[in-house]
Amino acid sequence: MIKLPPIHIGKLSLLLAILVWLAMLFVNLVRLVGILNQIDSGFAIEFSWVLQILFFLTVYGFYNYSITKNSQSDFLNLIWRGASTGLFAVAVYVIMDLFISSLGDSKLSRDPFLATFFYHIRFGLLTIFLVSTSLLWQHLILYQKTKQVVKQWQAFEIAMLVGMFLVFFGGKDTEYPFFFGMALLGILAVILSTNLKWIPYLTFKEKWKSLLFLAIIISTVCFFLWYTFSVEKDRIYPVNLTWNLFLISLFWFVLVYAVLSFLVTLFNLPTSSVFEQKLTEAINFQRLSQSIQPEENEEQVLDILMDSCMSAAYADAAWLEMNSEDFPEGLTQERFIDGDMREEISDLINDQKSVQAWASEKRPENISPITLRLHHPKFESVLLVPLVINKIVIGKIVLCKEVRDGFNKEMLNIISTFARQACIAVENHRLLNQAILHERYQEELKIAQRVQKSLLPTKLDHNQSFDICAYSNAADEVGGDYYDTYMLDEDRYVLIIGDVSGKGTSAAFHMSQMKGIFQSLIQLNISPSDFMIKANAAVSKCLERNHFITASIFIINTAQQTICHSRAGHVPTLFHQVNEHKSAYLEIDGLGLGILRNMQYKNHVVEKTFTYKPGDVLVLFTDGIVEAKNDTSDQFGYDRIKTLLDLYHDLNPQEIQSKIIDSLHNFVGGERLIDDDYSMMVVKFSQSTIQI
Amino acid sequence: MLTITTQQENGHDILLLKGEVDASNSVILDEAITKAVNDGSNSILVDGAGLEYISSAGLGVFMSYLEDFQEQEINLKIYSLSDRVYEVFKILGLDQLMKIYPDKITALNS
Repeated sequence: MIKLPPIHIGKLSLLLAILVWLAMLFVNLVRLVGILNQIDSGFAIEFSWVLQILFFLTVYGFYNYSITKNSQSDFLNLIWRGASTGLFAVAVYVIMDLFISSLGDSKLSRDPFLATFFYHIRFGLLTIFLVSTSLLWQHLILYQKTKQVVKQWQAFEIAMLVGMFLVFFGGKDTEYPFFFGMALLGILAVILSTNLKWIPYLTFKEKWKSLLFLAIIISTVCFFLWYTFSVEKDRIYPVNLTWNLFLISLFWFVLVYAVLSFLVTLFNLPTSSVFEQKLTEAINFQRLSQSIQPEENEEQVLDILMDSCMSAAYADAAWLEMNSEDFPEGLTQERFIDGDMREEISDLINDQKSVQAWASEKRPENISPITLRLHHPKFESVLLVPLVINKIVIGKIVLCKEVRDGFNKEMLNIISTFARQACIAVENHRLLNQAILHERYQEELKIAQRVQKSLLPTKLDHNQSFDICAYSNAADEVGGDYYDTYMLDEDRYVLIIGDVSGKGTSAAFHMSQMKGIFQSLIQLNISPSDFMIKANAAVSKCLERNHFITASIFIINTAQQTICHSRAGHVPTLFHQVNEHKSAYLEIDGLGLGILRNMQYKNHVVEKTFTYKPGDVLVLFTDGIVEAKNDTSDQFGYDRIKTLLDLYHDLNPQEIQSKIIDSLHNFVGGERLIDDDYSMMVVKFSQSTIQI
Repeated sequence: MLTITTQQENGHDILLLKGEVDASNSVILDEAITKAVNDGSNSILVDGAGLEYISSAGLGVFMSYLEDFQEQEINLKIYSLSDRVYEVFKILGLDQLMKIYPDKITALNS
């Protein structure tokens, strides 16, 4: 398969334009021969017209492509392109005329072939200049285009296209359609020429340059007009190429737009500094409103604010004062003023009554900038701009001018907007930093939560003689509830449940200490009361004076079916005995760990051993369950747990546990949260042990 | 919510507690007791009639003074506790260590 080379529209149309131009030259030279020899050349006049239209279209195609391709919206470049094309064309015109005149009276100078050749060159150059310049104008007209302008331009292009073909329909210069077409195109051109939105965006210097270029274009157009319609009027060529509706309308369009642009640019010169100022303000505003990145600091925003305010007010000097609370080092920025002068003016300002009233305004969000007159040899007027963040004045900017009453209302408006925007940026920055910090804490807490979860056993030690399950829930991310199990030997198992005073992070730390104490001491194979005495001694070394831990410990002996129990201030454990058909709390004295930190503690520890029967149930829990409150401040209480166990003791431990927890949640109410840690452990002794 | 009113009566400092003592306000109770001690009181009576609830943090406050008061021979007595609040003291074992009385008269006469 043959691969077609990529079509280069620019080059193709350029090549076509040259070919068409050469064909036109050839046809017209042949026609000249025919006229001179008074024979029919065989070419109808329409043939030249077709070639001419083709030439227009190919030149249009070439420039349309090349301008669109290189269009950087640099207006000066565009105008310069038109001007340089014009200058080049004029130079060629002049050189050709000089060449003719240098020939003097020789035969060559009157040679009709040479004249026709030059005429074609001039026609080509003129077309190139007019078409390229009008395409440049198109770019300028369609700057910040609206739908309406685009439609107008399309109408203009179509009218021009129709105008090209008018020559076929008897479009002689003196006839009605010609004038009608010209009037229409002329009006359209004027309407389009009112689109000059690009001019204000030029800077002062650029305006001067564009004036120069536009002047070049205007003079070039005038030169071409003069040459085409005055110098060449009397010359006779085999075909008149220039006198047609298309070229005349282009002349008109290029000239009108150039003249209008020139005048508007000229009149815009004095106000261009205002426009530039507004543009700078808009840019400053944008810079201020962009929120600061967390790693950047507020001073950068205040820096931009200072610059913006100074340029908006044309201030001669300025300084920034921050209140000491936010900036303990007393941030001050000085612009075009030294410390001594600043203090001098500061004193003058603070002496004024209006300033004292202004500074003592109770609602800072209502404070607006104020202007003052000063009796100072250098600065005669000052403007105070408050910086208010979150209804607190964090500082002020003082702008100084050497002229009296140098600040007007417009300046005040724009400056207060600047200040507000900067304050919002600073506030956002602070909030963002806070949010980031907060997020980090949350992350840390999540880690703590994970670590603490791992402190509670996932597998509870037991044998076939009893079944066990446990549940724990913290009010905050981490909590102070603790439960654990330990297997002393095949028949003996230890259960512990504990609660650290307080809740949250501090409780969680103490809970992990309790775990360490339990896991260490229990390996000594000691009795529950000894455990409590030793644990109390250990806890007393670990906890702050006003903290304590409550705990209940059980050593279950499945061979003898006994339970040895000791309680250190922990909420009593519920025990359901199948034989008795009722549940009761195990009553035993005991004192919380860490309350009495001396040897007397052992006087308060009691140990009790009792037997169990298969089917009996032990429910261990923490005070979070008992003290859980509902809307009317009633506590869940001991009796409710007892009633629940009486009802559900036949179920397995998991079921008993979920019955109690569901009931607890129903009691508290769906929306309310239990504001304490709560845990429970349910043990049920198996029926099957009887057979063993 | 916790409000503490302090009264002076025959050389006794009486703290009237009203509301609930929990982790968020146990500091107030602590400060009130410390203030009484610093003012040179050697008999502090705590009226718990208005006390609806006391959390472990609140118990911790009383607990932290136990040994100091024993050494300095300062009397701290609590009276008129509701059943529910007394139960909390009792479960923890504080009833064995602290002087808790059913009412003001028995507290003063003991």
